[in-house]
Amino acid sequence: MPTLTPPPDQTSDAAFSRRSFLRGCAAFGGLTALAASLAPLREMGDYTSTEQFLQKYYKELTPDDMAKVIARIEGEVQKEYGIRPHVRDLKPMDGVEFVYCLNLTRCIGCRKCVHACVAENNQSRNPEIQYIRVLKMPHGSMDVEKGDHTYDAKQVPEKGFFYMPVQCQQCHNPPCVKVCPVNATWQEKDGITVIDYDWCIGCRYCEAACPYWARRFNFTKPEIPKERLNPNMSYLGNRPRKQGVMEKCHFCIQRTRAGRYPACLEVCPVGARKFGNILDPESEVSYILREKRVFIQLKEEMGTSPRFFYYFDK
Amino acid sequence: MLNRNASTNAWLAVLTVVFLGLGAFFLVSAGGRPVPRQVIPLVDPKFLSTAPWRQTYADLVRTNQDLSDYDCYGCHEKNKPPPIRYDLNHKIIIPKEHSDIVMGHGAHDRNNLCYNCHNEQNLLTLQVRDGREVGFDNIPQLCGSCHGPNLRDWEAGAHGRTSGYWDRNLGAMQRLSCANCHNPHAPRIPTREPAPGPHSLHGPVGSPPPVETTP
Repeated sequence: MPTLTPPPDQTSDAAFSRRSFLRGCAAFGGLTALAASLAPLREMGDYTSTEQFLQKYYKELTPDDMAKVIARIEGEVQKEYGIRPHVRDLKPMDGVEFVYCLNLTRCIGCRKCVHACVAENNQSRNPEIQYIRVLKMPHGSMDVEKGDHTYDAKQVPEKGFFYMPVQCQQCHNPPCVKVCPVNATWQEKDGITVIDYDWCIGCRYCEAACPYWARRFNFTKPEIPKERLNPNMSYLGNRPRKQGVMEKCHFCIQRTRAGRYPACLEVCPVGARKFGNILDPESEVSYILREKRVFIQLKEEMGTSPRFFYYFDK
Repeated sequence: MLNRNASTNAWLAVLTVVFLGLGAFFLVSAGGRPVPRQVIPLVDPKFLSTAPWRQTYADLVRTNQDLSDYDCYGCHEKNKPPPIRYDLNHKIIIPKEHSDIVMGHGAHDRNNLCYNCHNEQNLLTLQVRDGREVGFDNIPQLCGSCHGPNLRDWEAGAHGRTSGYWDRNLGAMQRLSCANCHNPHAPRIPTREPAPGPHSLHGPVGSPPPVETTP
């Protein structure tokens, strides 16, 4: 190594002095340590683009800005998955407030809603990100501490248990929104609490604040097989997320703001899930809240006032 | 040659090797060593299906399927109601031609008379107990004649499956009929296999080491 060669006027009689040898070693070790510490930057390649870095806050985007953002997202998805998606930015409708009702008498715990949600909303398959947890609960108790969401039964429902799916409750008074230091999550006027994945800094405060464990964090880059990608996307909804951002149930914003039912409702084989506009007195959810035994808002005592209601038939 | 002693040279050689080794180690491990994750199989598409469990008479007619099961007078004689026979426990004896029928309607076998729903005068229709004739394609009225609250809820959209549009201005809501989910002869929803539960990142505690996923 040339740095190890001593200068000719050195008083030492050694070709390598001990000092210059140690200096060289320290320099080499320091450089390699620096390289090691900067290595994560090599993976930053497609982490964020300049346009995304310079993008304004969602609520400040003009329609022209949004068109550019959507074009960027469509380009990114096509580059990564080879599928041209249809990305929209659907706005809340006037005179609409969404409410979800779930019939605990009917639910059989088949978990089809969990997987329909994953398929619809482009969640990561490995590591698994699922918005819905189906709790298996012993009869005679509403104590969620007794719930088990990892049950592995051959056949459901099992005798002596009922099943309670838990997902984002779309609270009137959402604690997750209050703690967000950058306002990357907020409640829209139709009641859906949304996340701007381009504004989220990944601090996970909202995950800690949520009493329902409804929020999920992308610890790694999400893995979605190309053939399972849902190309019907929405900016605040199911467009593919990046590593390091939060996500959660958004009542299938890409479907419900276009007038359709959420995916978990359509797949439910027993019709336990009901969804609609609470401001319309003719809707199913209005009927249910008026006529049925609406039993709980989960963790009512937290004061979150969920828009997700559990009820019984008999 | 230089006049330093052999032990100094030996030390310098050892240190050189150690420092070069450390440098190489830093470079190799610069990318980090991710803990291998377990392989999570993709969920079976059968769990994503939104198709109803059963097909009703109306579905068979609509999709032009085989209706021979509904050709009652292919075997039975017209104007001659088939007799119903009971065993010593007052349970109905199901003839072998109808051995696929499970009599499971109502708790404690309280509803085990065929003509509670079938029309004995005309087997091609059903009948409500007040004498009204109902076609096989219009069963909610028949079922609702006993299950009133369920019919009321069904009409309001609160019982049974829905799909399509919650906003009636943008599209239609599709409803299913009673027999799309319930077998009229044994209406209780049978138990079934649940979809797989959540997988942890590195497999269950105490399991063998996970297999490296292919990137």
